[in-house]
Amino acid sequence: MRPSTRTSPSVPASPPAAGGALRRTLYAGIAGLSLAGTVAGCAPSAAEAPPATNGAAGNSSAAASGGSTALAGSGGSYKDGTYSADGNYVSPNGTETVGVQLTLAAGKVTDVQITQHPSNPNTRKFQGEFAGGIAAQVVGKNLDELNVSKVAGSSLTSGGFNQAVGKIKSEAQ
Amino acid sequence: MSGTDWEGFAFQGIGTDWEISTPLPLTAALRESLLDRIEGFDAAWSRFRADSLVAAMARAPGRYRFPEEAAALGPLYSTLYGLTGGAMTPLIGGSLERLGYDPAYSLRPAGPPLPAPAWESVLSWSGTSLTASEPVVLDIGAAGKGLLVDLLAAELEGAGAGSFIIDASGDLLVRGPDPVSVALEHPYNPAQAIGVVELAGRALCASAANRRAWGDGLHHVLDGTTGQPVRTAVATWALADTAVLADALATALFFVPGGTLEDEFEFSWLTVFSDGSAAYSAAFEGTLFA
Repeated sequence: MRPSTRTSPSVPASPPAAGGALRRTLYAGIAGLSLAGTVAGCAPSAAEAPPATNGAAGNSSAAASGGSTALAGSGGSYKDGTYSADGNYVSPNGTETVGVQLTLAAGKVTDVQITQHPSNPNTRKFQGEFAGGIAAQVVGKNLDELNVSKVAGSSLTSGGFNQAVGKIKSEAQ
Repeated sequence: MSGTDWEGFAFQGIGTDWEISTPLPLTAALRESLLDRIEGFDAAWSRFRADSLVAAMARAPGRYRFPEEAAALGPLYSTLYGLTGGAMTPLIGGSLERLGYDPAYSLRPAGPPLPAPAWESVLSWSGTSLTASEPVVLDIGAAGKGLLVDLLAAELEGAGAGSFIIDASGDLLVRGPDPVSVALEHPYNPAQAIGVVELAGRALCASAANRRAWGDGLHHVLDGTTGQPVRTAVATWALADTAVLADALATALFFVPGGTLEDEFEFSWLTVFSDGSAAYSAAFEGTLFA
């Protein structure tokens, strides 16, 4: 864990600088990041966002996907700006932090970035021969196209993410 | 395929959502005893409640008598502590609290990262008896959920249930003759799966690092010091006879290659890396989408 990459909550911050080199920030392809998709569901992009209705109830379309992450679902209004916060959670490496940065414009989320906080270097190298196999690239299929009754995955991050977003909500209000 | 038309008993326990599926509804008495079991587990092991044994141990050193599940947990943690060079430790609680993952969920670091104390210098774990030479913050999060799955399975089997599915928010145990189709959650997109496993009579547990954007064609996370993509484990799955073993080994896969763990444990594994590649043992052959 490298403390230098941890973002402490800074509210509100300036808009994200293009090409900032120091932070290893991943620019979320929204479609590929479902958690962020929940947040951004109300505003596919700044350009497509409907005219702002600054009233409380006007922004509540994001509640449909059920996330406590849906900023607009709570009925409050939020100040424009870029907000970042960290969520920590129990993790395979003992400690993990997920950095969440949201850009709000006219009460809507116009950008979401998830910041990588490097994991334990012990996890970096996996070498050696073993029985089994290697896939060069895993392939995702939509769950609703599959005939399964259960999903095995980790819900760890959603908790940390939701916590961080909750913090942003309170600070942006 | 079993499970699809079964009766579900959903509840919350140890901070997460659970569902137990059975062919017929559970009796009220059995539901009660399951919830009691969870309460007893939480009262002993929770780091987040002031009246727990773990909280008492964090306040004062001394000898503490834990419930009987401690007898199996200690040796498992001890083995993994050795295999991971101390990285996987039940003494990680203080480190978590330092980073803000404390009972108050402050989410604010209270200082620089704090390494866990060396096990051998502060804690003696003998059967169900734990003796701390100084205040320590025990955290069994790496195996605790799986352990509780097994305890609930024992309750169910004790009450005569032969077929059931325990789903502890993605950590699964299936008992009975029929397989259950289980999707392997995409590390970066919970609406997708990367494969399907037919789970029968065993436990399948997953661990994941923080979700990072992956997106179309995969983003590559570059290490600024090398310009190379970082290749780190981002999601793991472990198949084993018990959930505690599957849970603990899913975590251990972040520290130790699966092949090495196979020398010590009877289990199967799948690790997905940050560059989108995957490695797996034979039991996962053919389960990934191509």
